[in-house]
Amino acid sequence: MVPDRIEREIVIEAPLARVWEIVTEPEHVGRWFSDSAEIDLRPRGEATLTWDKHGTARAWIERVEPPHFFSFRWARPVGAEPRRGNSTLVELSMSAEGESTRLRVVESGFRELEWPEEEQAKYAEENTQGWELELNELQEYVSAQVR
Amino acid sequence: MRARDETDELWAAVADPTRQRLLDALLAHGEATATELAGDLPVTRQAVAKHLAVLDRVGLVESRRHGREVRYRIRPERLDAATRRLARVAANWDERLAKIKRLAESSGPKRPG
Repeated sequence: MVPDRIEREIVIEAPLARVWEIVTEPEHVGRWFSDSAEIDLRPRGEATLTWDKHGTARAWIERVEPPHFFSFRWARPVGAEPRRGNSTLVELSMSAEGESTRLRVVESGFRELEWPEEEQAKYAEENTQGWELELNELQEYVSAQVR
Repeated sequence: MRARDETDELWAAVADPTRQRLLDALLAHGEATATELAGDLPVTRQAVAKHLAVLDRVGLVESRRHGREVRYRIRPERLDAATRRLARVAANWDERLAKIKRLAESSGPKRPG
């Protein structure tokens, strides 16, 4: 069972409008997500997330509903254009709770994600180790019967 | 819902960076004692034992007594590469959300305009 999505949330002691700014404005996104960012904040707008060490990831903005909802689809690996099979959808929703703001993130689409080769290799290796463990167990079991 | 709770618990167990390294070390060894694992990580044997207890509770590792020592191993059926990768994704988001919180709560000067 591999989950297709992850969900996380946090309560922030700041007004909704402030959280919306931090979540959507490139100068802020370049501090909490990547090292720098460019965002054309409208549906089908393009965005780039750049890490000094890893390169630039590309994203498409999907929905923009200030100050409550923002979503984008971003591609892996860096440089690739987001499409089905190489991207996940990130949905950020915000709601006021008194003076504070609840921010919730859902990232989904992991089951559709094609895995880079090194990930597949790692997976295969782990499966192999799993089999080795099982074989060891069998061997021990057989030895115990013989004794 | 029970299934949901179980998943959450599993995630919480894997989201911790020390436990991720512990799982990596266990994958590398196949089977190991808490003492051996403590040798691989910058934490005490007691801390390793505590983390192993958490992983044991959610069924990610199992232990067996071998003479005087207790040996731990991963239950691969509970932890495949995809799950581990997702756990990392979750941990990354925890980090990003914490950064957003810090930025939003800091009373930095308002930008002009």
